[in-house]
Amino acid sequence: MSARWLGERVPRLEDTKLLTGRALFTDDVDLPGMLHAAFLRSDDAHGVLRSVDVEAARRRPGVVAVWTAADLGEYWKPGPALVPPPPIAGLVFNSATQVPLAREKVRHVGEPLALVVAVSRYVAEDALDDIVVDVEPLLAVTDLEAALAPGAPRVHEALGGNVAARARQSKGDYAAARGRAHKVIARRFRYDRGAAAAIENRGVVAAWDAKTEELTVWDTTQAPIPIRNGLAAMLGLGESQVRVVAPFIGGGFGPKIMMFYPEEVLIPWAAMRLGRPVKWIEDRQENFYATTQERLQIHDAELAVAKDGTILGVKDRFLFDTGAYDPYGLTIPINSQCTLLGPYAVPNYDSEFTAVFTNRPIVTPVRGAGRQHGVFVMERLLDLAAKELGMDRVEIRRRNFLPPDAFPHDHQILFQDFAPLTYDSGDYGPAMDRAVDAIGYERFLREEQPALRRAGRHVGLGIVSYIEGTGIGPYEGARVTIEPSGSVRVATGVGTQGQGHFTTFAQLVSDVLGMDPSKVQVITGDTREFGWGTGTFASRGAVVAGNAVHEAAIRVRKKVLKLASEVLGVDAGELFLECGSVHVKGAPERSLRLGDLARKANPLRGGVAPGTEPGLEATAYFGPERGNAANGVHAMIVEVDPETCEVRIRRYVVVHDCGTVINPTVVEGQVQGGVAMGIGNAFYEQLVWDENGQLMNASFMDYLLPTALDVPAVEMRHTVTPSPLNPLGAKGVGEAGAIPAAAAFAQAVEDALEGEIEVLEIPLSPNRLFDLLGSRSRP
Amino acid sequence: MIVQGEYTFPGTREAIWELLLDPAVIARTMPGTEEMVRVAPDRYEGRMRVGVGAITAAEFTVSVQLADVVPPERYTMQIDGRGRFGFTRGTAQVRLAADGAGTVMRFEADLQVGGKIAAVGQRLLDSVSKLMTRQGLESLSKEVNRRLASADPGSRSPNPGSLP
Repeated sequence: MSARWLGERVPRLEDTKLLTGRALFTDDVDLPGMLHAAFLRSDDAHGVLRSVDVEAARRRPGVVAVWTAADLGEYWKPGPALVPPPPIAGLVFNSATQVPLAREKVRHVGEPLALVVAVSRYVAEDALDDIVVDVEPLLAVTDLEAALAPGAPRVHEALGGNVAARARQSKGDYAAARGRAHKVIARRFRYDRGAAAAIENRGVVAAWDAKTEELTVWDTTQAPIPIRNGLAAMLGLGESQVRVVAPFIGGGFGPKIMMFYPEEVLIPWAAMRLGRPVKWIEDRQENFYATTQERLQIHDAELAVAKDGTILGVKDRFLFDTGAYDPYGLTIPINSQCTLLGPYAVPNYDSEFTAVFTNRPIVTPVRGAGRQHGVFVMERLLDLAAKELGMDRVEIRRRNFLPPDAFPHDHQILFQDFAPLTYDSGDYGPAMDRAVDAIGYERFLREEQPALRRAGRHVGLGIVSYIEGTGIGPYEGARVTIEPSGSVRVATGVGTQGQGHFTTFAQLVSDVLGMDPSKVQVITGDTREFGWGTGTFASRGAVVAGNAVHEAAIRVRKKVLKLASEVLGVDAGELFLECGSVHVKGAPERSLRLGDLARKANPLRGGVAPGTEPGLEATAYFGPERGNAANGVHAMIVEVDPETCEVRIRRYVVVHDCGTVINPTVVEGQVQGGVAMGIGNAFYEQLVWDENGQLMNASFMDYLLPTALDVPAVEMRHTVTPSPLNPLGAKGVGEAGAIPAAAAFAQAVEDALEGEIEVLEIPLSPNRLFDLLGSRSRP
Repeated sequence: MIVQGEYTFPGTREAIWELLLDPAVIARTMPGTEEMVRVAPDRYEGRMRVGVGAITAAEFTVSVQLADVVPPERYTMQIDGRGRFGFTRGTAQVRLAADGAGTVMRFEADLQVGGKIAAVGQRLLDSVSKLMTRQGLESLSKEVNRRLASADPGSRSPNPGSLP
């Protein structure tokens, strides 16, 4: 097998479709007789739901059906607990999952109260105005610390309080380490995240075919197979009766995971009840409070260091806002807890988090999934320690990097996949060296910055390291088929939201079967095409599905060689695959097109040997024993205008190690997009809630996304330490760009302002920076 | 949201008291009020239409329940407005004090705003509420002057009313 395509910059094969408007998105699905749905949502964050009167709405011409919780009968059930809590000793976990329509109580703004189905969306929305809701307001739970006080109002009465979970993970003896420390750096950090703000909002179209007794659901989900399985169970159908299609999706970033959102559960049910297709497309405002998001964590953390900067230990106590329900378990805070350790040797660690129910929408992973919170805390502590010790900030990091011979390195705590947090491979020093070199660290500090400062300019540099746990199990699968036409079809279960799967998976097959990637047709996210797997999350597509695709292609290749050796009468070892044909070494004119071979593999007459499988097709599965540890360094140079507090990013360098690179263009696109989200998180985006649980900026007028003017072109470098955990040696890259950006930004802004301020919170904004500067003497 | 202030009207406390509780006057003077009916001695119901930023005409059904009524000194209003664009609710206290020939009205409202109007109009709520308050007070003051003028057709009030 040649490695002609692996690692090549193959242009993205899906882009022709995407850029010419020929890609099917959920909202493109338009079926005869289709009805349209709209949801009435709670304006109150917390209250007793006394009544929902829908009589007038039912009478409106064009309205086909209106349902409240009371009308759902036995179909009304809280959603599934999606991610069980990990087996951490002493763990407290209170499960409360979202309901399809609120009854008795509303728990966050935007919680659905009624579903209207009508002949058009216009009529459906007008009918929402006809509904009279009576809510008796209750005090809202919005402050994480106040929520834990005795006597605080409860989001869920049945629970003893607002604690959703509490988990402590530790190793070594932090107290003893602290006693030996030369310095202990202790601070309170606040890290708020935000909305995923995908270009495409959510949407569901469902159609029930009474003749075939099949339900088809087009759904903007990252995980079509779990959704199919769940819907089948809820609706009393066999899994094979339900087909879930996740067509092209305009950005997932986490919230489109297998949430079993109320809309996702109710639209298929409504379509079956009505015997007509039903469509619901989320509008942007709904997206701000009906789609999950990520929010605040408050960390009280301390770092114990020796005089030479060696980390002796870290202690962290943090609060995590899980929102009104916690269906996604503890993935985010465990990611924060684990990712805090970074690429460093931390011999003593004591971390405990408390997840808190609040009267705000549900929190589930958004690109990074809590990892950035952990990275921010650790990187800031190291910056502060370096300052206290009079050390160079790069040097304190280098001093604490795990050495290249430390792998596999067991951190002795559990990761989100329930496996021990064990780094598979890595080499952190060279990554830092490359970043230092690329950003011109020494020269900047020695020459450029002093010169700029003399000229009255406030320019600073930030440089931080991080680890991203990626590529977790359980498994994915793929089926590779050579068609009689000679083209190859690859079907896999993961959904795709722009990652380049159509290109990278094709490249993996191309090398094995000796053909051009453009001849490989990849199908993702259609449960009829492939029905086993979990979905796209945790930067796992290339690792888990990629290896399954690769293995399936290898199995097909074996079938090709076996059949070709029979047909051509030569030993399989004498054959090679190239340009879509099998050739005989030394006699390339003796060849067979793969399409012709596929036809021969499916004979119409005559006998076949016992055990023969028809066709040139194979299915394979891959499940890693645990996740990988991708790593990298982000370095940036910013300029701050102390008058307006505007921050301009002058340069942004990323050195990234995601193991084997399948397609550098795709990797760089992922990193660039991630950095854009990271910059948004650092300086632009914040969901602002008032003390009553009202979201005060639910539009892009007030919720600021970074624009092309705010996001620089990232200068990218790769280092490669292949993962030993999978045959391709791949690690994930999907979330990497978003994870350390805010930590680098904070350091750079501090540096630009010559240490006038300490940045202990994210997001910053011009206003916040102005306030911070106002509390000190202005530079 | 806290809305507070004071305003000096010409006229006695009794006269101002009567005006403030007259549903017809409220309907005429409160910006956006389309209808206001006194359904009980201590209860008003009506409709309002207000614009906040991108929401150009949000219609609310409004109820005002009076409490702690001590004529002509003070009263408390329990305000509850709701509509398709959200809700506003809270309490407002009004106090009247004699000030020479005029009357000083001091008011303080603590209002919760929710739903779409909070979600997309938050940036402007403060300025809109200030604007509405000022407009309301000014038209109320005109109403006072008109009544004073009709009561005494020979003279106009020397004090047209003013915000401090």
